[in-house]
Amino acid sequence: MRNQTSMRLIFELSRSGRGSTVLPPLDVPEQHVQDLLPPDSLADAPPPLPEVAEPDVVRHFTNLSTLNMAVDTHYYPLGSCTMKYNPKRNERLSSLPGFLHLHPYQDEETLQGLLQVLFELQQTLGEIAGLPAVTLQPAAGAHGELTALMIAAAYFRDLGQQRTKVLAPDSAHGTNPASARMAGFQTVTVKSTRAGFVDVDDLRAKLDDSVAVFMITNPNTLGLFDQQMSQIADWVHERGGLIYLDGANMNAILGIARPGDFGADMMHYNPHKTFSGPHGGGGPGAGPVCVRRHLGDYLPAPVVSRHGDRFTLEKLPPKSIGRVRSFFGNVGVLLRAYCYLCTHGPDGLRRVSENAVLNANYLLSRVKHFLPVPQGDRCMHEFVASASKLKKETGVTAMDLAKRLLDYGFHAPTVYFPLTVPEAVMVEPTETESKETLDAFAETLFRITGETAELLHEAPHSTLISRPDEVQAARKPVMRWTSE
Amino acid sequence: MSYLFNTPEDLQQMLEAIGVGSIDDLFACIPPSLRLDRPLQLPPAMGELELSRHMSALAASNRCAEDTICFLGGGSYDHFIPAVVDALASRGEFYTSYTPYQPEVSQGNLQAMFEYQTMVCQLTGMDVSNASLYDGGSAAVEAVLMCLSATRRDGNVVVPASVHPEYRQILETYLINLGTQLVTVPTDDGVVDPDALAAVVNDRTACVLIQHPNFFGCLEQVEAVGRIAHDAGALLVQAFDPISLGLLKRPGDLGADIAIAEGQSLGNPMIFGGPYLGIMACRDQFVRRLPGRIAGQTTDRRGRRCWVLTLQTREQHIRRDKATSNICTNQGLIAVRAAIYLSVLGPQGLRQTAEQCLQKARYAMQQIAASQRFEAAFAAPTFKEFVVRDTEDRVTQLLRDSCQHGILAGVPLGRWYPQWQDAFLVTVTEKRTRSEIDALAKVLADGGRAV
Ligand SMILES: Cc1ncc(COP(=O)(O)O)c(C=O)c1O
Repeated sequence: MRNQTSMRLIFELSRSGRGSTVLPPLDVPEQHVQDLLPPDSLADAPPPLPEVAEPDVVRHFTNLSTLNMAVDTHYYPLGSCTMKYNPKRNERLSSLPGFLHLHPYQDEETLQGLLQVLFELQQTLGEIAGLPAVTLQPAAGAHGELTALMIAAAYFRDLGQQRTKVLAPDSAHGTNPASARMAGFQTVTVKSTRAGFVDVDDLRAKLDDSVAVFMITNPNTLGLFDQQMSQIADWVHERGGLIYLDGANMNAILGIARPGDFGADMMHYNPHKTFSGPHGGGGPGAGPVCVRRHLGDYLPAPVVSRHGDRFTLEKLPPKSIGRVRSFFGNVGVLLRAYCYLCTHGPDGLRRVSENAVLNANYLLSRVKHFLPVPQGDRCMHEFVASASKLKKETGVTAMDLAKRLLDYGFHAPTVYFPLTVPEAVMVEPTETESKETLDAFAETLFRITGETAELLHEAPHSTLISRPDEVQAARKPVMRWTSE
Repeated sequence: MSYLFNTPEDLQQMLEAIGVGSIDDLFACIPPSLRLDRPLQLPPAMGELELSRHMSALAASNRCAEDTICFLGGGSYDHFIPAVVDALASRGEFYTSYTPYQPEVSQGNLQAMFEYQTMVCQLTGMDVSNASLYDGGSAAVEAVLMCLSATRRDGNVVVPASVHPEYRQILETYLINLGTQLVTVPTDDGVVDPDALAAVVNDRTACVLIQHPNFFGCLEQVEAVGRIAHDAGALLVQAFDPISLGLLKRPGDLGADIAIAEGQSLGNPMIFGGPYLGIMACRDQFVRRLPGRIAGQTTDRRGRRCWVLTLQTREQHIRRDKATSNICTNQGLIAVRAAIYLSVLGPQGLRQTAEQCLQKARYAMQQIAASQRFEAAFAAPTFKEFVVRDTEDRVTQLLRDSCQHGILAGVPLGRWYPQWQDAFLVTVTEKRTRSEIDALAKVLADGGRAV
């Protein structure tokens, strides 16, 4: 049934002279291009793009799409990514012409409806975070981290303090240390305990007056809430540092606990995770940042404010770090988040987290019997199992399990993250899945652990392709098609 | 709540299996003192119908490019988007999938990324492209960071004032933390004077970032600027307008080491600034310094051609603080839209689009300048946008009045260039018709008073 041409590249479908005309004839007096632009600025020919007919394009990309697993088609328990259902109403309502066709430099007076949405979104995110000053500008979680760290840098510059270090636990996502470096800091890694929490002795040993920020993910990347949180915040604050919370795991605590109340000074959200913005095959996302009021002066511009019943864009507050991207931000993603938040309201959001945590604990209770979960038998919205023992006994790795799950029609969990768990299998069921799906997943995973190593090393067997040779791809990288 | 599944029976069975009495028990790990002891103070939930009414009313209260005539530009453009782009990109298999970390079930996204990368190379004349960055501004800053590391110079970065003012603001925001100076070269004539630029480029300069066509729509002398940069051992980064490449020489042919762009114009709505597309392509020698994801070709165990994410050792999830960038989530779906758009246009469609922009913009400039009140601010040749000077120096009022008449006439320059309070930027895409352009010229000539 598979369309045999679907794996051809669009360039291989190209025939010189084929293509579609899209534009009506020019309706202004035509002048010689050579008279309008300097001849030496002009190309001899337009770029050698593929020449295909419109029906080709439709069939090609439609067939390509069917080669993907997606939330709309499959269960996707990808830890840390919160692959929840992406509501169709959000797609429709974020694409209303009155939003879609707004130019970023329109006069504020023509944008009041949009600015109201963005203002209310700022308020809502601030309330859920317990951190009232909000910027919607960052384009993804990592960009939010960087924005917050640049705010911290500006804040300490203002105070005349030389703080050069950012601390982050070894279980942190890779974006944390990478963002710290881009903000000009040196990153220092803090160890985790065997139980999966911040090793406070190591933290205290590394905490001194040169530390600007401690970045913590809580619930952490093991899916555990670190109870030492307020104690840690006290220590960091006593030393004059700030606490940054990586909010990738907010799906566990909406309306239950607020980062601002448990010690964080700054945080980002991933609306493409927590607030159901679809992941788009890798993006776009957004990375709103919330900070304490006294850090609000440093937020990048523009921020939306309200004056009576008018909404305005504040250009550049005096202490602002400036800009972190062009225009306002990933508005399309923010509109979806707004729709999601309106759909749920305060009770609904709490129920989202309750069900996310219930589903994760239920799945954990089924999985832990055959795949050890080193950090205990309770979790928040996700848990991390380890295939370490399996590997020792049979040679079967976390990757093998992941690949075999694909054969059974499940997207794989996140594997080999966090780095602190050997052969990590990180499962985040999300709240938008049924008990039947969780049962089926657990049963399948159990069944796989009983399959032979030979079978698993070669998995997947039923997908369009088998395992790609990644070593070859990296050794002799081919990153574009060429006609030869 | 319509997105949840658990029935009361499910709940009971699940709690029993877990071995707790209530959902609350699952949160026992959060000390009571750290919990929120009240409901969130948010408006109550809305059903789909209510939400639809609410959003429709808010959307309708805006004035958008569909119910006005839009001549705004400056990095975000009202180009035509063929129906094919929305039809294909709105397939759930594209937009509800995640990063292709499991290539066996992500060949669609990976192949589309590979095709996008190829088209960016074809468009720019560069060797390699990544799979996208956030937007043009973040592509500009990432390119500059690449140059700092490639040249091992961190003294300064040289940028003409004709580069998008927001890109320059972003650069300032980032560079202050890295101790690198941003040197801005004035562009009083709308373009940079290569001699003036040469005077500030030195052996501590990591790169020159030039935009061509620039923020004012003017063509720059890219090759001359490139020679100055290269003679000093610095690199050349060129910001380009993808549509302009239907006519203009490509960055790769002009000597750029890294080419970056805002890719919104390739099939994406303006939507008040995002999601957009950061395009970045470079010469082969810099590939290991490229930020972001890259799709690469390889074979599977049965020797079939396929695609994977490659050179991941550049990325944060492997290299952490030594990564080339912190970027993780990118603009995947927007890159797919760009690939679809470019496939639909093809070389001829792109050329036609570029030509119509040029012809219509030139016609508009001539019509506007027919009024005594207005003149072209700069003599340099322009592509699809141009700066108009209002000799009566009442730009704010003029633009506001034009808006009253349903014409978004231009972007005032004074907010970024205090010396040019009397100037505004007018953009004309292929979508604008002769009668719309005539209406613009008339409303301006009448001082924004009538159409
Ligand atoms: C724990 C954690 N932190 C940070 C990030 C980075 O967020 P983004 O991909 O939106 O940049 C992610 C997700 O990828 C994450 O899982």
